[in-house]
Amino acid sequence: MAIQFWRIRDRYYRLMGNRCDDCGARNLADKDMPRTGKILTHTQLHEPLPGFESEVPLNLAVIELQNGARVLAQIVDTPQEKIETGAKARAVIRRVRVDGDSGQILYGYKFVVE
Amino acid sequence: MKSKERVGIKGYGAYIPFQRLPSTEVARVWKGGGSGPNLEKAVASIDEDTVTMAIEASQYAMKMAGIEELGAIFVGTESKPYAVKPTSTIVAQALGQHYTLAADLEFACKAATEAVQVLTGLVGSGMIQNGLAIGVDTAQGRPGDELEYTAASGSAAFVISKFDKDAIASIDCSASYVSDTGDFWRRAQERYPRHLSRFTGEPAYFYHVEKSVRNLFQETGLKPSDFTYAVFHQPNPRFPVEVAARLGFTAGQIKTGLLNPLIGNTYAASSPIGLAAVLDEAKPGNKILLASFGSGAGSDAFSFTVQDAIEKSRGVSPTVKSMIAKGTKIDYSTYTKFRGKLTK
Repeated sequence: MAIQFWRIRDRYYRLMGNRCDDCGARNLADKDMPRTGKILTHTQLHEPLPGFESEVPLNLAVIELQNGARVLAQIVDTPQEKIETGAKARAVIRRVRVDGDSGQILYGYKFVVE
Repeated sequence: MKSKERVGIKGYGAYIPFQRLPSTEVARVWKGGGSGPNLEKAVASIDEDTVTMAIEASQYAMKMAGIEELGAIFVGTESKPYAVKPTSTIVAQALGQHYTLAADLEFACKAATEAVQVLTGLVGSGMIQNGLAIGVDTAQGRPGDELEYTAASGSAAFVISKFDKDAIASIDCSASYVSDTGDFWRRAQERYPRHLSRFTGEPAYFYHVEKSVRNLFQETGLKPSDFTYAVFHQPNPRFPVEVAARLGFTAGQIKTGLLNPLIGNTYAASSPIGLAAVLDEAKPGNKILLASFGSGAGSDAFSFTVQDAIEKSRGVSPTVKSMIAKGTKIDYSTYTKFRGKLTK
């Protein structure tokens, strides 16, 4: 898991992607994506994947970034009533997975509603 | 200590997590009622740690500085997520910085100010153009211990650069004082620190802070009335107020940077977040005194002069005041879950 993650860590740490701002095509080269966007749709998980049990209820959203790229991400530090379609969201960096007490900690983007 | 060439702060950023634990909650659980010395403390979320908070503050500082490259990144902390694996390299990766010196510094609550001093030397000697000093902690307090009222989470970052018209403040001088004083410590592999209660005051905090500040006065010829603002390390609300009075500062000079009542003691980020709060409102020409304190023990004192470029920095990053205002209250049980004291 740690090595797979290592290969794409910039995507998670820096919210990098490969969508072209001009034509929408997916280039091969990653570049920094805008760190703000709006919620297109959202849901709440009560039976999440293993490793996320302590974060129940887990809020997930599809966010359209300012350049049109879309990302699926967790919404954190936001009162439930503010998580709604159209809400402005900003990327933050958080722990994404923790491999027990002795394994590695994986970091990545999540979003907060402004 | 003065650098050979002038050095300044080109950008800064602070990060205060969203959750607040009222001290009445700690008192309710462990004393049956009452409150602690502070009103609330800032608590990192379940998915936050020293790495994430260091990156958040650093992104703000880099944005304000408007620079692309860093020659050194120092993370000052006593709450590293890994005992062996640097925090600073994760911060460097997230900032896209690779051709850089990166290191973690530790000196209890003063690890960030020593980072500023080291960077002042590296920049002032011409070895690097820009460096990043970060103070960050997710402070630990044993359940029921006095520390639990105030041990808080937060971070602040400063871009230290060669002095030019874009510097928002000049770093005019610093002075330090250290001695072997065992007021507070955490042994390897221990989860919580231990301390010697009242001994943390007179022979530790007060003695070292007074020494470093008086040393700074002697070296610069400055006196308390020359400063518009003063920021002291704030382990609780009382110590900084008392040391300020002993050194000849007024309540008005320390008011802006005194944040312990609202966010607690963010350890290595404590006086740095206070400095960020002062820079949020300081005017060109204002002088700022900063004095950190780290158990074990030592203190670094600085004199800064705010520059014209401070006005251009307004609005680039959220102010400390705005981050404090955004906080939301949590109860003690939520706090224990967030800080890993209660696991499923």
